[in-house]
Amino acid sequence: MAEVVLEKLCKSYGSVAAVRDVDLRIADREFVVLVGPSGCGKSTTLRMIAGLEEITSGTISIGGRVVNDLPPKDRDIAMVFQNYALYQHMTVYDNLAFGLRNRRLPEAEIKDQIARAARILSIEPLLERRPRQLSGGQQQRVALGRCIVRNPSVFLFDEPLSNLDAQLRAQMRLEIKELRERVPTTAVFVTHDQVEAMTLGDRIVVMKDGYVQQVGTPLELYRRPVNRFVASFIGSPAMNFVEMRVEAAGDGFRLSGDGIGFDVPARAFPRLGPLAGRSAVLGIRPQHVRLGSPSAEGQAPIRGRLMVTEQLGDEQLLAIRIAGADFRIAGVDPELVFPAGAAIEAAVAHENMHFFDPEGGAALR
Amino acid sequence: MTTASLPAPAPRRAPGFFEALAPGGRRMLFLLAMVAVCLLFAFPVLWLGLTSLRPGYAVFYVHRGTDFTLENFHEVLGQPVVLKAMWNSFVISTLATILSLGVTVTSGYMLSRFRGPIPNTWFSLIYVFRCVPYVSWVLPLYFVTRALGIFDTYWGLLLPHVAVHVCFFSWIMKGFFDGIDPSMEYAAMIDGCSRWGAFWRVAMPAAIPGLTALAILCWLYTWNEFLFALILTAHETPILTVVMAQFVHELGMEWHLMSATAVLSLGPALLVTVFGQKYVIRGLKV
Repeated sequence: MAEVVLEKLCKSYGSVAAVRDVDLRIADREFVVLVGPSGCGKSTTLRMIAGLEEITSGTISIGGRVVNDLPPKDRDIAMVFQNYALYQHMTVYDNLAFGLRNRRLPEAEIKDQIARAARILSIEPLLERRPRQLSGGQQQRVALGRCIVRNPSVFLFDEPLSNLDAQLRAQMRLEIKELRERVPTTAVFVTHDQVEAMTLGDRIVVMKDGYVQQVGTPLELYRRPVNRFVASFIGSPAMNFVEMRVEAAGDGFRLSGDGIGFDVPARAFPRLGPLAGRSAVLGIRPQHVRLGSPSAEGQAPIRGRLMVTEQLGDEQLLAIRIAGADFRIAGVDPELVFPAGAAIEAAVAHENMHFFDPEGGAALR
Repeated sequence: MTTASLPAPAPRRAPGFFEALAPGGRRMLFLLAMVAVCLLFAFPVLWLGLTSLRPGYAVFYVHRGTDFTLENFHEVLGQPVVLKAMWNSFVISTLATILSLGVTVTSGYMLSRFRGPIPNTWFSLIYVFRCVPYVSWVLPLYFVTRALGIFDTYWGLLLPHVAVHVCFFSWIMKGFFDGIDPSMEYAAMIDGCSRWGAFWRVAMPAAIPGLTALAILCWLYTWNEFLFALILTAHETPILTVVMAQFVHELGMEWHLMSATAVLSLGPALLVTVFGQKYVIRGLKV
C-alpha cells in the first residue's frame, strides 16, 4: 500500500513534449483514472510511473521513496497491459508464478498465492492452459491475476479493456470494480473511454496535449468542468456548445445567438459581466434539456428544427439545428414520433448552463 | 417458417474461357503447370542421382544402358580429401551457424527494439554491406586473410561467413522480433527481470521458431557456399564444394565421381531441410 506522488513530471522526445508539468498526489488505496484522447500523454505518464519510460524532469515517488532511477522491478508495482502481455510460451500457472519465482519465494508459498488469485478471479480451471488457448476475457483475467499474486504497492492499468468487445468490456469493468473491494490497492488506470473513467475512478485526471486539464471526482468533473475540453470529454452524449453574444440588460444579461435568445439573471452568472458586449460559449448537457416551453422561473427556451432522431429503446436522442450546429437532446420519450424537420421547443434550467471563454475555453462561473 | 426471407438463387454465371473449352480444363492446366515446375526443379537432381550410379564410361549415355554401380561412392569415400572436406564443411557450417546466430539474434533484437544513433549506424552499415555485390568482397577478403595469417584455416573461412550471415539475417531476425509484442518484455521487467533478463527469458523463447529457421538457412548457406571456399582455402582446409569441383582436371572430367560426391553432399542438406521445412517456410515468409 502506498501513496504515489508526481511532481513537475515532464517527458520530451527530442523537441516534442509528451507530458508537461504533471503534478498529482494519489492517496493510499485510491483508484485514479487518467483519461484523454490519443496522444494526450496519459500512457506515457503511466509508463513513467512504471519505470518503462525515462523521465525528462520532475520526480516520482511511490510510498515516500523517490523512484526516478529505479528499474521497474524495484518499484513494487504490477501492470496490466492493453494486449494482456501474457508469456505465450508458459502455462497460465507459470505466467502467474513468474514474478514470484523471480523473487525466489518457496514453491509452496507460490502455490498458495496462485490458488488465492485464481479463486478471486475464477480462473482455477485455466491454470494448465496456454495463453493462446484462452479467450480475450480469460486472458485479461489472467493478466489481472499476475498482478494480484505479486501483492504490489501499486496497480497500473494501461487501457486493459480496449481490446475486448463492448459486452465483455462492461463485464470486466464490473470485475475490476469488485476486485478493488477485495484487494484494496493504490491504482492508476489509463483509458480513453470516459465511461470507464467515470465508473471506475475515485478521482479522474483529464489530460490533453501533455497537460493535466482537471483533477476531480467523477461528479465534480461532470458538474463543474474547468474548461470546454473537459466539458465536452466527460459525459455522453457530449455537451452541446452554442456561441452567443452577451449584452447587459437590466439586472441581468441578454444572450442571443443565431435563432436563439433569452435573459439570465446576473447573480447566477457573475463572471459574464466582463464579457458584456462580446461573445461567450454556452454549454448545455443533452440530459439537461427538457422538451416543451419553459414552465417555471429560471428556465430558458431553446428552439430549433429537428434534424435526426436516434432511437435507443429506453429513450431517444434528438438532434436539432441551432445557430448552424447540431444540438442534442437526450432522455426524450421513445414513444413520441416527430415529423421530419419539425419545429422543436425545449427548455433548460439556468443552473444547468455552463459558460466558457470563447478564446481559451476556460469555464466562466 | 416462411420461405419469403430466403435469398433468390444467384443467376448462373456465363462459363469462362477454360470452362467453355473443356470442362475441368482449368484444373487440368493448373496440374500440368505444377508438374512442369516440379520437373524443372527435380530433373537436374534426378539426373545427378542417375549419373552418380553409372560407371565412368557410361555417364554420357545415362538414358541408355543398364549398368548401375555403387563403385563411384566407394571410390569417392576412399579418397581421404573427400572425407576431410566433408568434415571441414560440417564443422565450418555448424560453427558459422552458432557464431552468427549469437550475433544475429542480439543485432536483430537491437534493430527491432531500440532507437538512437547506435542502432541507426548499425542499420546503415548492414544496408551498405548488403548493397555491395557479394562477389566483390572475395578478393579483398583474400588479401585480408593472408595479411592476418588465417588464409586456408577455419577462421579464415568462418569469419567472412559470419559477417555475411550477420548482414543478411539481421533483417530477418528484426522481422521476427517485430512480430513479438514488446509489452511481454515490459511485463517481465515489472515482474522482476532486468532488460537482459526480459530479452533472454521472454523474447528469446518466443522467437524460437524464427531462430530455428535462421539456423537452418545459415547452415545450408555455408554448407552450399562455393566462392568464398574456393578463394579463401587451399590444401590445408579442403571444403566439400571445392573438392567436388576438382574432379574437373587437366586429364578430363570425372562426372561420375563428381556426381557421387554431390549426392553425398546432398544428404545432410536434405535431412536438415526435411526436418526444418516448417520453420524455413516461416522464416522465408518474413
